[in-house]
Amino acid sequence: MRFIVLRRKTIPRYHTWISTAISLILGILVYLFITILVGRSPLEVLVNIARSFISPSIVKDFFVLIAMGCALLISFKAALWNIGGEGQFYIATIPGILLTLFIFNPRHNPAPAPLVILLVALTGTIMGAFWAFIAALFRAYLKIDEVPVTLILNYVAYYILNYLIFGPFKGRYVYGYLRTDEIPEIYRLNVRVHLPMRGDPLQVALQNLTVQLAYYIALLVLAVLIYVFTWWFFKHCRIGLYTKIHGSNPSYLQAVGVSVNHIILLTMTISGALIGLTGSIYLLSELGRIPYEIERQTAGYGYLAILVSWLSLLDLKMIPFSAYIVSALRNAGIALQVAGLGGVEQSLLLIGAILLTYSITRFLVEYEVRFEW
Amino acid sequence: MSSKVLSTSANISSAESVENVILSARNISKSFPGPVIALDRVSLDLYAGEILALLGENGSGKSTFVKILYGIYTPDHGEILMKTGRILERVTINSPADAMSKGILMVSQVPQLISKLTVAENMALTLTSLRIHGVKSLTSIKKILKIISEESEKIGIKIDPNEKVYNLTYTQKQLVEILRAMIVNAKILLLDEALTYLPLLERRKLYQALLKLKEQGGSIVIITHKISEAMEISNRIAVLRAGKIVGVVNTWETTIDQVRVMMFGEERSKQISYVKVQTINPRGEPRIIIRNLHVEDDYGREIVRGVNLTIHAGEVVGIAGISGNGQRELLESIVGLRKIKSGDIYVDNVNVKRSGVKNIRELGVSFIPDRLLEHGISPEESIVENIAACTVRNGINIPWGLIEEISRELINSYQIIAPSTKTPVKYLSGGNILKTIVAREIENAKKALIACNPTRTLDEVSAIYVRRRIREKAVNENLAVLIASEDLDEVLMVSDIIYVMNTGRLYGPLTPEAPCEDIEKLMVM
Ligand SMILES: Nc1ncnc2c1ncn2[C@@H]1O[C@H](COP(=O)(O)OP(=O)(O)OP(=O)(O)O)[C@@H](O)[C@H]1O
Ligand SMILES: [Mg+2]
Repeated sequence: MRFIVLRRKTIPRYHTWISTAISLILGILVYLFITILVGRSPLEVLVNIARSFISPSIVKDFFVLIAMGCALLISFKAALWNIGGEGQFYIATIPGILLTLFIFNPRHNPAPAPLVILLVALTGTIMGAFWAFIAALFRAYLKIDEVPVTLILNYVAYYILNYLIFGPFKGRYVYGYLRTDEIPEIYRLNVRVHLPMRGDPLQVALQNLTVQLAYYIALLVLAVLIYVFTWWFFKHCRIGLYTKIHGSNPSYLQAVGVSVNHIILLTMTISGALIGLTGSIYLLSELGRIPYEIERQTAGYGYLAILVSWLSLLDLKMIPFSAYIVSALRNAGIALQVAGLGGVEQSLLLIGAILLTYSITRFLVEYEVRFEW
Repeated sequence: MSSKVLSTSANISSAESVENVILSARNISKSFPGPVIALDRVSLDLYAGEILALLGENGSGKSTFVKILYGIYTPDHGEILMKTGRILERVTINSPADAMSKGILMVSQVPQLISKLTVAENMALTLTSLRIHGVKSLTSIKKILKIISEESEKIGIKIDPNEKVYNLTYTQKQLVEILRAMIVNAKILLLDEALTYLPLLERRKLYQALLKLKEQGGSIVIITHKISEAMEISNRIAVLRAGKIVGVVNTWETTIDQVRVMMFGEERSKQISYVKVQTINPRGEPRIIIRNLHVEDDYGREIVRGVNLTIHAGEVVGIAGISGNGQRELLESIVGLRKIKSGDIYVDNVNVKRSGVKNIRELGVSFIPDRLLEHGISPEESIVENIAACTVRNGINIPWGLIEEISRELINSYQIIAPSTKTPVKYLSGGNILKTIVAREIENAKKALIACNPTRTLDEVSAIYVRRRIREKAVNENLAVLIASEDLDEVLMVSDIIYVMNTGRLYGPLTPEAPCEDIEKLMVM
């Protein structure tokens, strides 16, 4: 017997949409199957998943994933596989902690909040950019694949943070926990709205949504800004055009006199910068402090964003859709956990199942597999 | 050129009875998004034992037609019938593998071999998938080696079956592909501009092989823009124009001029003239000076061996020669795409030896590369994007309005057939891709134009327009032009001074009035 794998001649555009939908459904089915195997009620699980798609609690993830999905899209379009979002995200929180808790700590050295916030964003951006730039240097000048390098840099970033929390960043008002102090309220970016939370379920949900939106207003602004930037970058910016061409034919760049290495450095750096920016804003609007063993506490945005970018089929228009789906699924995982239907691994299992079916359907869309005897 | 070889064959009339049809395409239509109607109800029969030339201007649908027969595209309408036994039966051809199993093989301009494998391994892949010659698995490599050596002997081409494909020259790759067609006993062989740039010697051998295939009852479709070649080798000529068949004639009953009128219409075919464009150019100052240049090829072999050359402003220098003699590497090193081993290159008295492409381009040097799809264009991107990437050198925002305008002008003046300026280049026909590159580079050139085979896949009218534009630019705008071309007629037509490149050295200078035989002798010595 033998396998024959043939690349399909033409792939209708709607196939890619359908395959995405199918892989979502199949992934959930695979997940359900597993939950049934371990003896849980599939109905309850399904209800939880469905509920998370309309839950207001996904707005935070939704905004962060739009921002990070766009950032990764920029590097992916250049066929540079930056999977170091995690590292670039967390390394960017270091200057934020330094600025808000040490240099400009309101207890002994208060400074105008807008200035500090701006500095946090700026230094975070630079840190994220720098972290991606390291990988880009390896790729451009030593021809070392960026995938392992960015991946390793994630762990380097985790460990640097852990080291700092253990030592110089160790908080003083932490009730025995190992973590940094809480970032002072004046530097936080949240807007707190108080609503009665009364009325019919729809009204309550809307009020809930309003509260969430206000609380994460900074992330909303960030997502919009990064989305618009990405659109401009590919539509109008000269570098964006080079980035795209790097993804399809670097030799052409070379022949028109654009340095391929510079484009690798630039693209990765921009991607890292946007992630760094996201990290620093996330620090000010959600995290507020950094706990020890960061790798056990992370929401995994760096990896989830890879999924977002892939699900969009590297199409900017699709990024909000895929960000929505991924954040709903992540929250479904959390909801299942809360409902006592499993542990932390629930969301990972669910997302893993979808990634698996997604990879398979993508492959089958592009290739035809035949058996012959 | 090769009339001696073929003068006898052209007179054998093809028996036009239905009996002899081995493939019949009926009412084939194919359109692409755009919308582009690439083929419009095309009906064409192929007879056993004939060579059919399929002619037509760039973008007329020739490649689309043979790609349908080869299973790369599925037609929107129409049907294909093939002879099985004594009757014609309707068939569907779903993929190239499908086509091959039906005895249909295609060789295109772009070699389709797997570079990392050896010749024999490539052959093994085809043979095992077709299960012919009793080859059942990849392990029968000995058997395959034997088949290859026997077959290549028969045709008279030399190929080392154990050579990795990436080590082969373009010519050799094409020969391997044609050899493959012979080995699998193709009944129908589709040659989409496959022979265009084969050196004369190989081409003659292949003509012999094609004649043999034809005698065995095979049917061959040749697509070419060299109409004289088509006249020499074919039995019948079919002409496509804007996706429609405008005529099918017996070759011996027609003339080259009639064919041209069918292809281009009365008006435009009048533009075809191979008389040298006479222009008086005052030779300007030396613009490009090359001193004792040594360059290595991709495998570290010295391929340019001590070239000295001066190109003056306002003059066109032509380099004749068979491909693979260092022309490509010479040109690539002039524009900074290839490292120089030793020697010097000056552009306007600036030593550009280490300047890199960017600086050389900024000096006003344009480049039409040999490897079009690598260095000439980014196929995924649109026409405007490709033009922008090459012309916009500073600023953050791309001035799209301006680029649009430039693109439209180029499309009009070079008659590029494209649904819109936003169409990805990969959707253009072969000739139109080349036109986009050539138009952009010629019109962009400020000081010098370095060109490799600038008309290789263009139809006659376009080729003549391009050559005329090159001469005009040289004369009117004092451009220094260097053209390397494997088409000797082209070199003779455009050049003021001619050199011949052979095994890394330049021979000459010769004048365009020099006897052709002298030049050809230098090419093959
Ligand atoms: N995959 C495709 N998608 C969209 N349009 C296409 C595609 N392939 C071909 N076309 C269009 O169909 C028309 C015919 O193209 P085709 O390649 O058959 O021309 P051709 O006769 O081979 O020309 P040439 O002499 O330049 O090779 C062209 O206008 C081309 O732009
Ligand atoms: Mg073609």
